[in-house]
Amino acid sequence: MTWVLQTAIGGLSTGAVYALVAMGFSIVYRTMGLVNFAHADVVMIGAYVTVTFFLTARLPFGVSLLAAILITAALGVVIERILRPLESRDLNLMLIGTIGFGIVLESVAILVWGSFGTAVPTPIPNLPLRVDGLVVTTYQLLILAVSGVVTVLLFWFLDRTKLGTAMQAVAMDRVAATAMGVDVAASNALAFAIGSGMAAVAGALVGPLLYVSPGMGASIGIKGFAAAILGGFGSIPGAIVGGLIFGLVEAFASGPLSAYSDLITFVVFALAMTIRQTGVFGERTVDRA
Amino acid sequence: MRVVRIGLGKPLLVVTLAALPVFLDLYKAHVAVLILLFIIVAIGLSLVMGFGGQVNLAQAAFFGTGAYVSAILTSTYGWDPWLAAPVAILSTCLMALVVGLPALRVQSHYLGIVSLGLAVALASVLTNATFTGGASGISKIPPLPVPGVDMTDDYNYYYLVLAALVLLVALARLIAGTTLGRRLRAMRDDTLAAAASGIEIPSYRLLAFLLGGLFAGVAGVLYAHFVRYVSPDTFGLDTMFLLLAMVIIGGQDSIWGVAVGATLLIAARNLLTGLDAYQQLVYGALIVATVVFAPRGLAGAALAARRRLPFPWPTLPLPFPRRSRPPVVAPPVLATSRSVASSALALRVDEVSKRFRGLTALSRVSLEVPTGEIHGIIGPNGSGKTTLFNVISGIERPDGGRVEFHGRDVTGKRAYQMSRLGVARTFQNLRLFHRLTVAENVMVALDRDPARMHLRYLVAPWSVLRREHEYRERALRLLAEFRLESLAEEAAVNLPYGRQRQVEIARALAGGPSLLLLDEPAAGLNAAEQEDLKAVIRRVRDAGVTVIVIEHNMGLVMSVCERLTVLAHGKVIASGTPLEVSQDPRVVEAYLGRGTVRREAV
Repeated sequence: MTWVLQTAIGGLSTGAVYALVAMGFSIVYRTMGLVNFAHADVVMIGAYVTVTFFLTARLPFGVSLLAAILITAALGVVIERILRPLESRDLNLMLIGTIGFGIVLESVAILVWGSFGTAVPTPIPNLPLRVDGLVVTTYQLLILAVSGVVTVLLFWFLDRTKLGTAMQAVAMDRVAATAMGVDVAASNALAFAIGSGMAAVAGALVGPLLYVSPGMGASIGIKGFAAAILGGFGSIPGAIVGGLIFGLVEAFASGPLSAYSDLITFVVFALAMTIRQTGVFGERTVDRA
Repeated sequence: MRVVRIGLGKPLLVVTLAALPVFLDLYKAHVAVLILLFIIVAIGLSLVMGFGGQVNLAQAAFFGTGAYVSAILTSTYGWDPWLAAPVAILSTCLMALVVGLPALRVQSHYLGIVSLGLAVALASVLTNATFTGGASGISKIPPLPVPGVDMTDDYNYYYLVLAALVLLVALARLIAGTTLGRRLRAMRDDTLAAAASGIEIPSYRLLAFLLGGLFAGVAGVLYAHFVRYVSPDTFGLDTMFLLLAMVIIGGQDSIWGVAVGATLLIAARNLLTGLDAYQQLVYGALIVATVVFAPRGLAGAALAARRRLPFPWPTLPLPFPRRSRPPVVAPPVLATSRSVASSALALRVDEVSKRFRGLTALSRVSLEVPTGEIHGIIGPNGSGKTTLFNVISGIERPDGGRVEFHGRDVTGKRAYQMSRLGVARTFQNLRLFHRLTVAENVMVALDRDPARMHLRYLVAPWSVLRREHEYRERALRLLAEFRLESLAEEAAVNLPYGRQRQVEIARALAGGPSLLLLDEPAAGLNAAEQEDLKAVIRRVRDAGVTVIVIEHNMGLVMSVCERLTVLAHGKVIASGTPLEVSQDPRVVEAYLGRGTVRREAV
C-alpha cells in the first residue's frame, strides 16, 4: 500500500509537468487548429532560458522563471506568425512544418548553449519530508504547487477575463467570433504566447529532474502530446487529467521493470486510444467542415 | 508495323547509376550506398503517408526492425544471411501491421502520436534488452555471402543495393500508377467517398502500413549487412524526421521526388560534415520553407516548371510488330448495371431510426422504392434526408429498423459493402478525390476488384498493366457521355463547380450500380446544367438503374420524380406522386408554416 502511494506521488509530480505541456498543446490546437509539434522544443528553450538566468545571471529562480515565461511567450508570437500559413491546412504539412520548426529551435539552442547539456540544481533545497511512512520531497511539492497555480491562473483567464472569453469564442466558432468583433489573429497570437509561456514553466520545473539539453524536448514533448490526446485533444481539463494519468502509468510501469517503462506506457497508451478514440473528454476542436 | 517511342530517361538513369562508383572514392561510395538504402525506406514512407494518408511516425523503427532481426539471426544464432533476410523482412511487415492496427480506429494526428509512441516503445526495447545488445548494439554482423564476390567491398555492395532499388522502384512506380496506388490516394483524399466507391478502408489502411514495412524491411536487412553494425541511435527520432523531410521535400506522392529528396538530404548530411548545428538549422528551415511555400515539394515544383517550359524527354523510336488484339467489346456505357435484380422492390426501408446524442435525426422512417423508379426525397433542411442516405449507403449504422436491398437484409453493412452490392451515391457537399484527375476519380469506382487481387502485383505485374488500360478506356467512354473527356487529365479540384458535380455523378455510375442515390445534385447548377441533369437521370433510369434524389429544386423534383417521400423532423409526413404530395396540407405546412395552409389550398 505504501508502495502504491509512494509511486503515485512520484507519478503525480511528473504528471503535473506533462499536464502543463499538454495544456500548452491544447490551447493552441483549440484556438487555431494547429497541431504544433514545435511545442516540445519551446519547452526546451524555456528550460534553457530559465537556467541561463538562474545559473549564469544568478537571479532568483522565480525571477528567472518569469523572464523565461516572457521570452518564450514572445517567441510564441513569432512562431505563430511564421506558421500562420499552416493553420487548418493538411495535417501532414502541419506536422512536418512544425517538426521542421522544432529542428530549427533545437539547432538554435545548440548554437547558443552548445550541444552538451547542463545539470541544474533544484531551486530550493530538495529535502525529503516524511508523512506517515511516505516520502515527499520539497521539490515535488514545489512542482505540484507551481503547476497548480499556473492551471488556476489559466482557468481564471479563460473564464473570467474578456480576452479569455474571446479566445473561448474563437475556439468554438471562428467565423461567429469574427462577426462579433473578436480579433482572431490577435487571439491566436495570445493563445500561442500563453501556450509557450506554459511550456517555459514546464521546462523550468523539469530541468532539475532531467538534464537540460537541446534534445530534451523530444521525450517530454511526445509524452506531453500523448497526454493531451489521451485526455481529449483540445480540452483543457482533459490535458490535466491526461497528463496526470500519463505520469501515473509511467511511474507504475517503471516500478517493476524500469528499463521498459516507455514500452509499457506507450503500449498502454496505444491500446487506450484504440479503445476510446476521442480520449477521456472527447475532442473540442475548431470546426473545419 | 507500328512505331513505339521508348523513353530514354530511365535507361540513361540506370546506366549513370551503374557507372557511378567508378567516379567515387571509398567514402563517397559508402555514402552512395546509404543514399540508395534511404531512398528505399523513404519510398516506403511515401507509400504509407503520401499515398495512403496514414500518418506513420514509426518508419525508422520498421527500418530498425529489419536490420535488428537480420543482425540477431545471423550474428547471435549464426543463420545464413540469405535465410535470415526473408525472415527479417517478414518480421518487419508483421511489425508494421501491428503498429498499423490502431489506424483502424484513430487517424491523423492521433495516429501520428500513437505510431510515434510505439516507435519510442520499440526504441526502448532496443536500448534495454540484452538480446539486442543494449545501447551498444550488435557488431560483427556477417556480410551477405555471394560466391566469388567480396561483399565487404562497398563498391560491390553498391550493385547489390542498386539492383534491389531498381526492383523496388519499379514495384513502387507500378503501384503508384495503377489500381492500388489510386485506391490509396483516393482513401487519402476522402475516406468517406472512397468507402462509398467500394474501397475496403480497413484493409487498405493496413495494406499501406504493410507496404511501408516491406520497403523498410528490405532496406533494413541490406543496411545491417552493409554497415555490419547496428545500434539503437541509427533508428531513432532523428532518422524518423530525416525520412519525413525526404518525403515532404521530395513531394509526398511522387516516387521520383522522394528519391531526389532522399539523395539531397543524405548527401548533405554526410558530405557537409563539421557544421552540424548550422546544417541542422538550414535543414529545419528548408523543411518549414518547403511546407509553407511549396507544399507539393520538389515534384510539384518540377511539374509546374515542366508545364511552363516543355522540353521533350529523350526518346527512341522503335518499330514494333503490331499484335492483333481482340477488339474490346464495348459494353453500353450507362447500362453497366448488373442484370436488373429480379425482385420488384429495389429498396425497402423499414422503421429506421437514427439518433445523434440527444438529437433524433430519423424516427421510424419507412420507404419503399420499386426497381426502376425515380424517387424523390424532399423536406425542409434538417429533416433527416442526408442521414437517411447515410444509413442506406452504409455510412451510418441505424439505431433501429431494417434496410432491405433487392429483398436482402443489408442493415448495418459498411459503406464499401453497400457499394459492392450495387448502391452508389453522390454527396451534398461534393466529395471528389480532389488530387486525383477526373479520369482517375472515375477509374477508382470502375474497378471492382477486391483487395486480395492485389497479389497480382507480385505474381503477374503485367496483368495489372493490361487491366489498367481497360479501365482507362472505359473511364474515358463514360466521361464522354458527360462531355468531360477533354478534362480527363485535369485534377478534379481545378474544375468549375458544375463540372465537378458531373464528375461525381459519373463516378457514382462507374461502378455499375443498380441503385443510385443523388444528394442535392442540382445545387449550384445553372439552368442549362439542370436540364442536362434531368436528361442524365432519365437516361440512367432507362438503363435499368433505380434512382433516389434528394433535392430542394421543386421544378426538377416535380418533372423528374415519379414518386416522392416527404420528411420533416426525421419522420415521413407524406408520400405519393408529386401531384398528391404537393396538395397534401401536411407538406405545405411543413414547408410554409401553419397559417398559410388555407390560402395555398385555394
